[in-house]
Parts: sequence; C-alpha cells; structure tokens
Amino acid sequence: MPCFQSCRHSEDRSDKPATYIEVIDFRGREINLDKPATRIICLIESALSGIYMLKAGDNVIGVPSEIYNGPTAEQYALLDDRIRDKKLPSPGNWDFVSIENIVALQPDLVIIWASQTESIASIESHGIPVYAVFLKSFTDIYKEIKDFGLLTGTSQRADSLIKYTEDEIIKLESAPQSSVVKKSSVYFIWPQGLLETAGTTSTVNDLIELAGAKNCCPIPQEHAVINKENLLDWNPDIIVMWFNALQNPDDIIASTDLKYLNAVRNMQVYELPSAFLCDMWTLKFAYTTKLLAKWCYPSAYADLNTDEEKRKMLFELYGEKGGNLLK
Amino acid sequence: MKKRIISISIYVLPLPLILASLFIGPSQSATPEAIFRAIFYDTGNVSLIHSVLLDVRLPRILLTFLVGGSLAISGCSFQAIFRNPLTDSYILGLSSGAAFGAALALAYSFLPVQLSAFLFGLLAVGLSYYMARKNKNVSIVSLILAGIIVSGIFTALLTIVQFFSDPFRLQSIVHWTMGNLHNASWEKLESSVIPITAGVFILFIFRWRLNVLALGDDEARTVGINPERDQLIVLIAATLASSSAVAAAGIIGLYGLIVPHIVRMLNGPDNRQSIPLNFLFGGAFLLIIDDISRTIAGFELPIGVFTMLIGAPFFIFLMKKTNIGWNS
Repeated sequence: MPCFQSCRHSEDRSDKPATYIEVIDFRGREINLDKPATRIICLIESALSGIYMLKAGDNVIGVPSEIYNGPTAEQYALLDDRIRDKKLPSPGNWDFVSIENIVALQPDLVIIWASQTESIASIESHGIPVYAVFLKSFTDIYKEIKDFGLLTGTSQRADSLIKYTEDEIIKLESAPQSSVVKKSSVYFIWPQGLLETAGTTSTVNDLIELAGAKNCCPIPQEHAVINKENLLDWNPDIIVMWFNALQNPDDIIASTDLKYLNAVRNMQVYELPSAFLCDMWTLKFAYTTKLLAKWCYPSAYADLNTDEEKRKMLFELYGEKGGNLLK
Repeated sequence: MKKRIISISIYVLPLPLILASLFIGPSQSATPEAIFRAIFYDTGNVSLIHSVLLDVRLPRILLTFLVGGSLAISGCSFQAIFRNPLTDSYILGLSSGAAFGAALALAYSFLPVQLSAFLFGLLAVGLSYYMARKNKNVSIVSLILAGIIVSGIFTALLTIVQFFSDPFRLQSIVHWTMGNLHNASWEKLESSVIPITAGVFILFIFRWRLNVLALGDDEARTVGINPERDQLIVLIAATLASSSAVAAAGIIGLYGLIVPHIVRMLNGPDNRQSIPLNFLFGGAFLLIIDDISRTIAGFELPIGVFTMLIGAPFFIFLMKKTNIGWNS
C-alpha cells in the first residue's frame, strides 16, 4: 500500500476551516484548499476518468480537448451529457493550454501533467491551485485517486475504489499461473507502429509482470523503437497491441517477415479492445491485467469470463453510469 | 590520377558494401558466423537467418541505398539549375509538403502515409513553381522565394495537424519527420523503386546539359538549349526522385546539400561525372551511416541524427583539406 501520510484533512489545525484540505502533488508541491473543489479543470484524460469514478464529474468545468475527438470520445459522451452535447469547454490538453480560457472559467482547481511546467507557472501566477500529475507506477495511480478523493471531498469513495482494485490484483496474483515455471514472453506494440514497444521501465512492463508474464524487450526505456531483427531474436510467445485504428492482429499474422515468430505461428496476437477500457493509467489497469493473464495462460484462466469482468469493473468504478458504457 | 582512383572507387564501392551490410545488424542469431554456417553447412536456425537476411536486412539495405542516392542526385541537380550551392532537394518546399501529407495521413488515416507524403511533396513543389511563374517565365530567385513561402505554409499546416493530434499520433508524426529507415520493407521498396529509377534516369540523361544550365540562361541559349524547358524537366525528375525517397524514409535533413559538395570536393564540378557519382556515393554513404546506426545501439535512433553526426564532421574534414575557393 502506498503511504498517504502527506495527504490529509487538517481539522486539527485550529486556524483553518474544518473543511481545509492539504495535499501534496507529484511535484512534491503542497496544494491547499479551504473546501473541496467544485470548479475543476482537468486537462488529463486518465485523471478525468478518475474524477468520474469518484462521482465528482459534475464538478468538472473544463476537459482536455481530446475528449471530443480522441479514441475515448464515445465513452465520455456516455458518462456526461455535457460532453455529449459538447458544452464543456476544453481550454487545453496534454500539450497546449490556453491560459486566458482557464482564467476566464474561474476554476478552484486545475489538474495537469507535471511536465507542463510553463503552463503550470502561468496558471499559478493567477492564484489558481494546480495539482500536477506524473504517473510512473500503479502505486502512483492509487495516490492520484486518494488525492482526488481529498480534493473533491469524496475520500470514502476513493478508498473503496482503491480497495476494490487491490482486491482484484490480489485475486489475480494468487491465481494458478503463479506456479507456472516458464513464463510467457510478451511483445507489446504501441499504435505508432510494429517496432515501437515498451521497455523494462514502463507501466506496460509492470502490467505484463502483474499478469505473470515477461516483457521480451529488455531495453530499459519507457518507450523503445527497436529493429525488426531484435523482435525476431526475442521470438515472443504473445504479441499484444495497444488499441490501434490502423492495424489489427490479422495484419501482424499475415506479415511474411514475422512468420517465424512463435506468437504469429500460434496465432497469439491480440489487441486491447478499447483505449478507454484498457487505460492502464487508471484503476482500469486491473481489467487489462486480467485480459493479458488470460491470453498468456488460457488454461489457467479458463474460468475467467472477461465480458463478465468488464461488466463488474464498469459498475464498480463508474456506478450506474457504468451500465451506459456497456452499450 | 587521384581523381580517377576516387571516381573508380565510388563506382566499385556499392556492390561489396551492399554484400557486407548483409552481415551487419543487431540480431544475436544472425551473426556473420551463424550466416556462414547456415549457408555452407545448412546448420543453425536457418529459417530465422533466412528471414533476417532476406526479409529484414536486404529490403532495408536496398531502400537505404536508393534513398541516399536519390537525395544526393536531386540535390546536385538543384544546385546546378539554381546555380546556388546552398540549395538542396528540399528547397521548393518538398520536405514540408511531404511532412504535412504524412502527418495528415497519420492523424486521419485517409490515405496510406507513403502515398500522402509523396502527393503533398509534389503538390508543394508544383505550388512553388506556379507561384514563381510570371509571363511564362520562371526566374530562379522567384522560384527559391516561392519555395520558402510554400515551405512556411506547409510547416504551419503541419503545426495545426500536430496541435489536434493525440500523443500517440503526434509521436508518430515526429518520428516520421526525423527520418525512419527501420520500417523498410519490400512493399516500401517496390513502391519507391519505379519513381526513383525514372527520376534518376532522366537526370542521368540530362547530366551534360546541367553543365550548360549552370552557366546561366543566356549561355545555354547560345549553344541551342532551351533553358526554361530543360530546367523544368530537371526540376520534375529531381522532385520525383526525392519525393519518393522522402515518402519512403521520412525527412533526412541536409543530406541532399552535403553529399553533392562532398562529391564535388572529391571529383570536381563536372556534372557529367558527378551526377552518377552522386547517386552511387550518396547511396553508399547513407548505407555506411545506417550500418553504423544499426549496430551502435540495441534500439533504433532516427537516421537523420546519424547523417548529421557522421556526415557533418566528414564534410568539415573535406572542406578543410580541399581548396575549392569558397573563401575567396
């Protein structure tokens, strides 16, 4: 369990209101609010997902621009009628930010990537509190949800979401594959192309290991561009593609230069079904891990019904609105 | 005599280099020793070695050679017809147009990336030519200025596409614009070989006219050459070759500028010789650079990085060693 001692309500401080909130973000910067945020601009898609999980979506007044045209647009339209009707302003995204639009929206909290340092400085210079995010591990995802719970006054919900996810992971870790001697080797493909993969210092690597398998790419990078010869040498048992609009597993299986790969010969090439459902920078990483575990060890997970798991996950994480996402 | 030896070396170099390059690569299974064993004793992982050699290395080697050769020969031709040593194959907006076309295809998947890059590269050059044309005449200065303007327009359009792209697609666009030979395949080679060969062949035919065109329009007319017509033919051929190269391998910056100068320093300015030499040296030099890039790290770095890191010091070295009167 991550340590959350730095994030607390400080009711014990006599000079602060009872609702005073103090949270430390991923920069190590303290964020202080007199009361839970009710006008939130969230410029990170995965973080926005977390806010809807906390049922604090009504407090969102600004969203990242990719919500309207990215691969997850359909799902967010189902989660929030304002997004469906394109009524929520989008004052920026992970790259570009309109400071003027942000200031005009009068938010009481802005959530943004920690790497957007210039934008953060500009927003803070207007006296607007900024929570900066930088996710390196699943522990960071728990911290993010815990902090969002504090900042939006939904701590109880945050704790229950974290507990649900941790329990799912514990169940997975105690499953039969843990006794398998030879681990399946997995090659992961980002949507940029066949030769763009995740190295050993990546969230994808953590996900593969959590599923009881081994990442065949030994390069210590978050995102590695490799040579096709490397791929032939590694000869993975399974190939997993991130959701990709341009390619599908059949393209990989049909490519003649990959025909000697075990994964291609045995037709073990899979694509994560949706960028929204399999977002590994949210608590949905548990579902993605289950999919991966089932693909790697089909006999050990013969009883695992992934459709049922998806339904359960959506209801647990998004409540009644999770039903909409199943449509 | 020295020039003759250099010239013969450049003619002879490609074949052994291509063969040697087949033995170079990051694969631990297809080492030179394993390849020899597979060929002569039929032992080891023959099918894997076969795949590495014929499906991975050979198309990449041939594509690299063609791309390097076509960028160099196009650059040399542009420098001749524009009578300007600072021009290259990208001067008329080709690279910006191709980058915009590739970005559009990567972001919205409406056309194959290679085709879109090729078409927009041609469109950019066509626009530059159209903008520079006045009273049925095209002045060199107008053409270069129009090229800079068109390049700026397509760069702005590229920025708009990047602005609206998600992180994954933006990264694809950035990778494409940095040059990428690691995605070489037989399909890419097949789609590039005809336009590159056609462009190179026309430039080869016109190589002696380039000498006359380089002297100026009036001088060309006095020997019975129609400079406007010939410049247009050379322009189309060089654009065809270089836009096909850019479409297949992305933007390899300054290669079409540096290589013609290197060839000129090694062999002199006569285009009758330097046109074929540019193609052969340009192809061979890019292949050497790619061989180094394939072996230096366990992962792929954009080829454009290596062309500058290796090509630029070599260029400076030659510039210091030779005396071709640029300082006067």
